[in-house]
Amino acid sequence: MAPAPVVNGISPKEGPPGTRVTIRGQHLGKTPNDLIGLTICGSDCLLSAEWKSPNKVIARSGPGKGRGEIIVVTGSGGIGTSLVQFRGYHETIGPLKESAVWVEEASLNTLTWGHRSLSPSSYQLEDPLGLSVEENEKKFPEEDLHELFPECSGDLSSENFEPGWFLLEHHHATSFDDLRVGLSFLRRKVEGQKEGQISFLKSNIGSVMEQLDTLFILKEKFEADLKARDIDPTIKVEKAIEESISEAEKLFHDVLARREKADATRNALNVMQRFKFLFYLPGSIERNVKKGEIDVVINDYDRALNLFGKTDVAVFKKVLAEVELKISELREMLWKKLEDMSIGLDQQKKTIRNLVNLEIADDPGWKAITVHSNFLNEQLIACKTEHLKAESADMDGSSKHLDSHHKHKHKRAASGTYNVELLNRTPQPVLCVEELTEILSQRFPDLWKLGQSYFSGEFQIKIDPGRPQEFKGIVLSIISLVCTLLRSALLPHTVDKNQQWPQHHKTSDSVSTWLPHCLRYIRAAYSTLIALDLPSDALNIFSSLVFDLRLHCMSTLLCQAAEQIKTLGLKENWQIEFDQNGGITQLPSMFENLVAEVMQLVKDSVIIAEQRETPLLDNPAAKKDLNRLVLKLLLNFVEALDNLGLTNEDGDHTLGVSQLIGSSSQSRDKDSFGAVYEQKLLCTLSNCRHTRLTIFPRFINLFERHGFPRLSEPFEEAEMAFKHLEKRILDTYIEQKSDPLVGTIEPSMYIGNFDWDTCLPPTDIRPYAKEIIFSNIITVHSEVYKVIPSLVYPVISQIVEIVAEELSRLMSCVTKFSIAGNQQARIDIMAIQQTLQHFSTKNAVLYFNEALETIPPLDDPFDLKVVDEVLKKFTARNKLQLKCFNNPS
Amino acid sequence: MAKKPVSPEALHKVIMVGSGGVGKSALTLQFMYDEFVENYEPTKADSYRKEVVLDGEEVQIDILDTAGQEDYAAIRDNYFRSGEGFLCVFSITEDESFQAIQEFREQILRVKNDENIPFLLVGNKGDLQDRRKVSYAEAQGRAQQWGVPYVETSAKTRENVDKVFFDLTREIRSRKMEDTKTSNGGGKDKSKRKKLKCIIL
Repeated sequence: MAPAPVVNGISPKEGPPGTRVTIRGQHLGKTPNDLIGLTICGSDCLLSAEWKSPNKVIARSGPGKGRGEIIVVTGSGGIGTSLVQFRGYHETIGPLKESAVWVEEASLNTLTWGHRSLSPSSYQLEDPLGLSVEENEKKFPEEDLHELFPECSGDLSSENFEPGWFLLEHHHATSFDDLRVGLSFLRRKVEGQKEGQISFLKSNIGSVMEQLDTLFILKEKFEADLKARDIDPTIKVEKAIEESISEAEKLFHDVLARREKADATRNALNVMQRFKFLFYLPGSIERNVKKGEIDVVINDYDRALNLFGKTDVAVFKKVLAEVELKISELREMLWKKLEDMSIGLDQQKKTIRNLVNLEIADDPGWKAITVHSNFLNEQLIACKTEHLKAESADMDGSSKHLDSHHKHKHKRAASGTYNVELLNRTPQPVLCVEELTEILSQRFPDLWKLGQSYFSGEFQIKIDPGRPQEFKGIVLSIISLVCTLLRSALLPHTVDKNQQWPQHHKTSDSVSTWLPHCLRYIRAAYSTLIALDLPSDALNIFSSLVFDLRLHCMSTLLCQAAEQIKTLGLKENWQIEFDQNGGITQLPSMFENLVAEVMQLVKDSVIIAEQRETPLLDNPAAKKDLNRLVLKLLLNFVEALDNLGLTNEDGDHTLGVSQLIGSSSQSRDKDSFGAVYEQKLLCTLSNCRHTRLTIFPRFINLFERHGFPRLSEPFEEAEMAFKHLEKRILDTYIEQKSDPLVGTIEPSMYIGNFDWDTCLPPTDIRPYAKEIIFSNIITVHSEVYKVIPSLVYPVISQIVEIVAEELSRLMSCVTKFSIAGNQQARIDIMAIQQTLQHFSTKNAVLYFNEALETIPPLDDPFDLKVVDEVLKKFTARNKLQLKCFNNPS
Repeated sequence: MAKKPVSPEALHKVIMVGSGGVGKSALTLQFMYDEFVENYEPTKADSYRKEVVLDGEEVQIDILDTAGQEDYAAIRDNYFRSGEGFLCVFSITEDESFQAIQEFREQILRVKNDENIPFLLVGNKGDLQDRRKVSYAEAQGRAQQWGVPYVETSAKTRENVDKVFFDLTREIRSRKMEDTKTSNGGGKDKSKRKKLKCIIL
């Protein structure tokens, strides 16, 4: 069983029957049905009881009179106890009692006069004990008296008068001696009354007897008279009295009429005086409205309604009607004021509160919200239209005024280094975005706060259950409107065709450079929204915009960079800078700078996630995009290099290798002011290698430092592309070098109608062999070594192989050797073979041997000795030149 | 019902006084039931009783929450007579309510005829610091002038709510203990001696 109910609070603690009483305490029932009994002062009040909570019950007091307990009975806890008491009393309306109802004072007066003599107050003036109660300030607690003398009363005139009660109530502080004296006083008084009567009779016995006699005589005479006349004398007397009454009335009629009139006037004046508040009210309302003190008006109006709301008096009704009129005017005025958006939020809230206090039928809070949202919508759309108009004016080129105006207004420069060729005025979509975000961050918080106040019950408006949903809809629609507008200005590809910013094709380029700038604005607006603690539905709309914009911004930035890289080739000046790894031009470092810059920019504006933004690259699509764009960035450079290296714009490249033929003098001259094609090839090759080997690791480092995810895919692919390009360039280079070289061997060999059969005894190697070694291979060696030392071996060995092949072919074509010719051929081939032995591949060795084998063997050791000697002489003489072939690496 | 209930616990009667709307009922309801009533409904006269443990002794606090409105000024005398201690409340956001406390104080002293009646000056609505109109120093000054403590409370945040009731109850209890001592020891007090002269006839 639950604990028994306990009542320990009562509000109010006294009142006439029917008073609405709030009862507080503990365990007053678990449910409304658990409350099964309630008595206040002994009268059952369960019928009117309204269960609010286990701690609070509201009921109306019954007809019980005097002090009494409040007993609550619950099904779960049984009969309860009460720590406080309620006192019921019957209210009589007297002249001192303020009443909301007009009381006819005239009738009241006669009524009071009739009963006054019996009212206890006159009794209490006199103490029956003759003791003063003036000093007796301390009262004996009344409840104790009730407890001591139940069912009794201290009222002298009461049937159940209890002397003990009376004494305690009035004389509990009086000393015993005083009380004794009082008692004797009371006795004396009683005795005095008794004794007085008897002694009076004794002393006046004579006259009493006389009076008795006279009365008898009177009686006799009267009876005789009756017999004699037989008429009731009273009729005559009655007549006379009636006559005198009418006479008197005549006499006093005027006076009485005047008095009545005066009374009426006085009454009216009294009424005016007493209720002047009401009569002045219409005027004061008007005054206060003018002064703007709506609170005062509301207060007065409430008071008037409380006092006179239920009146039946015609005058009051009339005045009240007037007041109502004024109030409804005020309501209307305030209602209109709600539509005025120029007043601040606080003012608006105040107006709403005022309207609520004026008990307007409609819902001012909701109205304000609607007005707010409509205003916001209009402003947003107007902003777009205005900028569209301005733009079309700009397009016509006829509005220089506007132009300068905007230039003035927006002097700030867009960020980033991409704005080198920036138009000197901000494009309209960007202006539009700036303004939209401004409107949003200025106006929207107001709307939201208004909604918060509205739904948190700040205005004490009963809220329709559908309203929160509707409000959410409004908020969402505004946010999505803003987003659509922003998208149409910045991200045209994400909205419908009809929503797009027209003439976009012309502006898109200029807009794109402003994207980071716009992103900053939009982010600022977004953070305002976040600060407002909006529902995530609304924030998500915005965050998806921010996300899309970031993505778009990133791809735009990267695309721009890619475009720039594409054109990088035009900036090549072929100035080679050398370092320990060989020589490169400035192109790779330009490329590196560009990429680093764009990455910094992308990171700064896009990758870094601000408040409530998802990291962009967590999105697989975004990551893919990034990969794609980075790859494009890199491949564009490959393409640029490709274009540079493999485009032979000089046209004529049949470079003569043989000075002996002398066909190359022309092209040699041409190269004196620029790099020759082969050198360009080499440079590009070197650039490729440098980019791949040095810059790529740096990029990967850089990206990691900037928080990009691993971009291994694009880099690997780009590396492949680079390798491929390198191979192609290398092949081209070797082809370029070896083709003419090989081509010149034969003519040089047979220059001057040389014949292997009729040759002089050999003294040195022949000029063609020297040319192969010195002018051609050493030149190539030096050329390559200068730029890319590491490529010397692959290049030379390739060339050597080709040379060897050619030699073997030429030897096999010789039909007949003389002894001297035989010797000469051996000397030449062996000299070449020995010189280039470090660069000879297997194939080359094979070819050399093949060439030697085609020459018929020399049987005479003397002849062989000649060969050896000449060879020794050759190596000794050219020791210096040949040194470069000693170390192939 | 006819029997006198045995109540071993001491009963201390506290009366809330102060202008209308300063938060007397809010303080009372916060103290009694830990709840804060937002909407304003003028009180007529409410009665509450709570059992608390004061310095290890179980006592009952009887709270009479009176009407602040001027309309009820006439019946205040009757209420004040039964009070043993007074919480005189004003709102720190309303200067008028602070000015009104002077009248309440005078009325209490007149009715109780006792300069040292337990009395606490309470500045309520302490949570609305930004709307403060009555400075702490001003209120403190008034309290010192009267020789009573001054406490700032907030019925909304329950700040110092228990403190004012407990402080006042403590004061009442110590006063009562003093009184019993003097009345036990030194015979009748002065007012009773005076009464002897008032016998008529």
